[in-house]
Parts: sequence; structure tokens; C-alpha cells
Amino acid sequence: MFFAGSVNKDLDQFGQMLNRSVERMFLERNEIRFSKDPDMEKRLIIEYGGLMRADGLEKYNESSFISYINYYLNAKDMEKNKAIGAIVVYIEQTYVATLLKLLKYPLADDEDLDALADCCGTLCNIIAGAFKTEISKAGYIELEMSHFTSYRNRAVVGVPFCFNEREKIESTFFIQNQKRLIVETTMGIVPKR
Amino acid sequence: MADTNTKKILVIDDSTLERELLIEILKGSGIKNEFLQARSGEQAIEILGRNYKDVCIILLDWQMPEMSGLEFMEGVVKVPAVAKIPIVMVTASGSDDNKRQAKQVNPALAGYVVKPYEPEVLVDAIKPYLK
Repeated sequence: MFFAGSVNKDLDQFGQMLNRSVERMFLERNEIRFSKDPDMEKRLIIEYGGLMRADGLEKYNESSFISYINYYLNAKDMEKNKAIGAIVVYIEQTYVATLLKLLKYPLADDEDLDALADCCGTLCNIIAGAFKTEISKAGYIELEMSHFTSYRNRAVVGVPFCFNEREKIESTFFIQNQKRLIVETTMGIVPKR
Repeated sequence: MADTNTKKILVIDDSTLERELLIEILKGSGIKNEFLQARSGEQAIEILGRNYKDVCIILLDWQMPEMSGLEFMEGVVKVPAVAKIPIVMVTASGSDDNKRQAKQVNPALAGYVVKPYEPEVLVDAIKPYLK
């Protein structure tokens, strides 16, 4: 296990774009305002076997669901699974169904682990889509996006990422002053149009 | 209860929750058609193979495992018997480039709805194509 390589100078900007995407989506969907601005921290990527470690037990003191989506510079890179970036969404198990209900989705059975994993992935998908649109609007090239992959507690095989990067942004969102949603963003250098 | 005289709506999305939401919204708006569901492009092709004569519209996600929505659409437009079935994309990828890309693959694309959507946006997009 070791820390991966160099740093994308635009990483902070990507983190800000991610935060704006999430805040706007919650507001537009059901007029949900977070209790405060998201906490935003840079963290080192822990690489293992060429993949980024994603462990929900490091985020919450109880079981959680993790979903990730990868970004690619083009369709060829996507075919080769050569990711330029990723977002990883973490939600406490006990709050997954509630969070999606807040976003006007049907209420999932909170004892059905497959349904909760699907909920977490569904949220990851709409965040990733909104973030991708925000990136495009900021003048970067259009990225390709993967489908979601979900796990309980820990991404067992890790998350593909741009191997040149050594840092990620962790954004924590609060609802009623409780930590309710964590999104990690990692992104390599994305060319402008 | 579904009306036996109406055609079916094929919903293709890897998220069970998204499929449930979509069907709940359409049923809630008074649409009586029966629904077929697929969680990937490949599964949708199997379903279409058996039911294409009964399907009046396809609601299609983009990012799915194995075969993406775009790949599914690329295949479908080459088969005359199914190419005439209207397709509405329902996807989280909402950029103008993505909309252009989808339209390039299927110039007859019937609509493009970006998740998360308001119920009336979805209903308005598909109502003209219901049979």
C-alpha cells in the first residue's frame, strides 16, 4: 500500500463544482437546504492494487453504503476502464431510504440491503450526472460516465482512479446539523475545449 | 389494472428505484398502459424480441452495465421492425453535448428527460406516443 503520484491543480475547482451540483440538486428537487456549507477537505488517496480505497467505516461510526461512478476522457478510455476521475458517495445505512425519500423517490425497504445499495447508487448517479454537466458548462471537454457500482461498508476491490493523482476532495453535507452525505471527488487533468 | 387494449411501455434502467419512481409517476398520472422492465440494454433486447409488436414506447437510461443506453439505441435503429418504436431517453447525463450525441445516434429520438425530473416533464414527454 502506498500513496499515489502528482496533484491536479484544478482539484479544488472540481470539488467546488461538485458541491454546487449537489446543493442545487437538493434545492431544486425538494427545496432542501443543507444546514451549512459543506465541509471540504483534501485527503490523500490510499492506493491498493492500482485502485483507490473507499471505506465507509472511516466516515461513519456505523454501517454505510458506498457507490461510485467513474469518468473517462473519451469512449476508448472507457472501454479500457482507464478512468480520469471518480466520485464516491457514502451514506449511513440507517439514513439511505430517508435521504432518497427526501428527494421524492419511493420509500425503499430499509431492511432490504440490495434495495438500499440500489438507492445509494441511484443517488450517486444523479449527483454524477449533475456534476458532469457542471464540468461541461465550466468549459472542460465532455466526459464519459460509467454506471454506478455499490457496496456495503467497503468497496471490496477498490475504486478505479487516475493513477497520476494523489489527492481527493471529501465533501461532507449536513441536514439538520447531522452529517448525512459524504462525497469524495478525484479528478485527473481534464482538457478545456 | 392495465387496459388490455393498450400497448406496453418498456422501461430500461439499471436502478430499480428509478424504474419504480417512473412507473409510479406514470400510473399516478392516469396512464393505464402495462409496463415491461429491463435493467440493461441486453435484457431489453431479449424482451423486445418477444414483445416488440406490443411496445408503444421505450424509456431508456444511458449509463447501464454491459450494454449502455446509447449502444442499445445504436442497435435498435438498425432493425426496421423496432426502429419505429419511439424512444425517450431518461438519464442523469443532461449536457447539450450528450443530447446532440443521442440525437446523432437516433435522429428520430422522441424526447430527452434529465434526472432528477419533475413528474409533469416525464408525462408530457411520453403522452403523445401512447397507444
